[in-house]
Amino acid sequence: MLEVRGLGYRYPRATSAALDGLSLVAERGSILGLLGPNGAGKTTFISHLAGWLPVTQGEILVDGQPLSVVRRKQPTRIAVAPQDYAFYAALTVRENLECFAACARLSGERKRTRVADCLAFAQLERFADTRASDLSGGLKRRLNFALALLPEPELVLFDEPTVGVDPQSRAFLIESVQALARKGVAVVYTTHYMEEIEAIADRALIIDHGRVLREGSLAELLAESAARLRLHAEGLDDATLLEALSRYGVARLQHGDALLELAPGVSPATVLQAVEAAGGRVRQADFGRGNLGELFMALTQRSLRD
Amino acid sequence: MLLALIRKELIALSRDLHGLAALFLMPLIFIVVMSMALKDVYSPPLSSLPYALDLRDDGPAAKALAARWAERRGQPLPLTRDWQAQLKSGQFKYVLIIEDGFGQALHDLKAPETPHLRLLAEPGMEPALFQGSVAELMAVLGEARARSLATRFLGTVPSGIADLGRFVSGERFEMRQHPTSVQHNVPAWLIFGMFFVVSAMAGLFVQERESGTLARLASLGVPNAVQIAAKAIPYLLVNAVQALLMLAVGIWLMPLMGGHGLSLAGVDLAALVLMLFATSCAAVALALAVASFVRTHGQASAVGPLVNVLMAATGGIMVPTFVMPLAMQQIAAASPMNWALSGMLDVLLRGAGPMQVWSHAWPLFLFALVTWVVAALRFPRRVRA
Repeated sequence: MLEVRGLGYRYPRATSAALDGLSLVAERGSILGLLGPNGAGKTTFISHLAGWLPVTQGEILVDGQPLSVVRRKQPTRIAVAPQDYAFYAALTVRENLECFAACARLSGERKRTRVADCLAFAQLERFADTRASDLSGGLKRRLNFALALLPEPELVLFDEPTVGVDPQSRAFLIESVQALARKGVAVVYTTHYMEEIEAIADRALIIDHGRVLREGSLAELLAESAARLRLHAEGLDDATLLEALSRYGVARLQHGDALLELAPGVSPATVLQAVEAAGGRVRQADFGRGNLGELFMALTQRSLRD
Repeated sequence: MLLALIRKELIALSRDLHGLAALFLMPLIFIVVMSMALKDVYSPPLSSLPYALDLRDDGPAAKALAARWAERRGQPLPLTRDWQAQLKSGQFKYVLIIEDGFGQALHDLKAPETPHLRLLAEPGMEPALFQGSVAELMAVLGEARARSLATRFLGTVPSGIADLGRFVSGERFEMRQHPTSVQHNVPAWLIFGMFFVVSAMAGLFVQERESGTLARLASLGVPNAVQIAAKAIPYLLVNAVQALLMLAVGIWLMPLMGGHGLSLAGVDLAALVLMLFATSCAAVALALAVASFVRTHGQASAVGPLVNVLMAATGGIMVPTFVMPLAMQQIAAASPMNWALSGMLDVLLRGAGPMQVWSHAWPLFLFALVTWVVAALRFPRRVRA
């Protein structure tokens, strides 16, 4: 459905490129999770997809056609659900839907049907005549969501759709995104919440400084950290503990715990026995559970971004 | 698409009480307040100015002149012992002193060494009012002196010898309306109100850009031209409603409040509509251009009113151009509000038709075109920002 090849972009007067050879593929019926710290290039990528920025380097293809052609002929095939509440606060929920439906070139019966369908999909029927300014944060997110779906896009890009909502609304939005993918829509989902990506994404992409750092299915990415043993031991000083562990792989300390990337063929039981033999008492150990957050932090480094 | 966006704009406007107050109530209040405040500037209450008479000559000539003055200016107030203090404080607008020997001086062929008729005005008396009073006093004196000399040399006063009013005619050429404060203030503050859309639209653009609605419309493929037109058309309608409302205030409300009424009798409606449309186009296009430059709410709330007030101050809205010195009048001529006001006054006071006001209308249309182009070029940047 969507194929991005070597996309690059540098803002005027910027010292470095916002996008530097970004490539990705989003398929119909699947969810691509896009992860990256602030300044990674996500917004620039979204701006390209939305047509706000021209493609100056690389290419974006939609079913083999250049994005610019698709946007000119059928702009509503691709929808962006922005992070902002991009609707009119003075209008009611229904008035907003009707206005944006008309802007998406829907009219007559189809317009009425789509407005009703989107009200139902986002469970906003009860609030149809409520002014958008009077909605709670969760309802506003749902309206934002519903507006993106009005023209029945084939690809939807969600930009942090669950920011600032309660757990119920977040669960509802995530389930709705999954339902959308089940209907055959291609979904690109950006967020800072790793657990959301772990919950819904089929594939994930970690980007930083405009480049792809890691891409793969969720299972592949999580497997990268599956051979890591985290343990908390008492009775040994840090140097002794690290020396004991280093015989079984690459060891380091993190937040008071020891992290050991196990060498091939080494079992965690062997390591735990070795720690006990060295005089340590293992209080806590964690093995075999991949963690996207750790991978993300390891790839993008821990330094604070803007 | 365009209709939906226009409908959206009108709904949003109708629910914005503060915005409506700024667009409709503010110019309305200005019209009422300024018309009432400046009422006397256009129609000085000459016959009701409080004055005192210090009659130091008890001869018949002095008494006759005092009586003649009272006929024109009303009866004097009693002259108090501390009349100088009252004059200084403005309780008396002026004191008319007829010195002893006035009657003799009136009979003499030679001019007197010192004036026998003195008009002492309070310090704050408007210059035009002061000069008009002195001129009127000279006219009354002229009549009295003509009568006196005729009596002296002819023994009688021939009919008409002292009737100076029949020698002079003063009238406004082809005047259709008597100029009043309402005639100035209705078009002036209507124009100011129409240009107030600059503030409203600048704020609206910032709000829609920040909320992402402009970007959402762009991503839906709504052309920039449609987005701009969807802003412009509702505000052209707002300007039309403003015009109707302000004219109605001038025609019906002002007389009820004791002010002069605005009359459209003899006014060329086509010329009026032409000037209103040209003004509206200029105001809305300027609003779009300003809106396409401002980035924040702070800028919008500062730049819009600043542009408006500057154009109004220099353009003859706040102070009529005819009371400005020549240099300021030349500066005023650079303000689009002045082009609009000049045209509107031509229509309302001089009965000008469309051809006569075209010289005021075309610069407004040209201004609208230039600012529209600026807005169209800047708009895509605002969406992307």
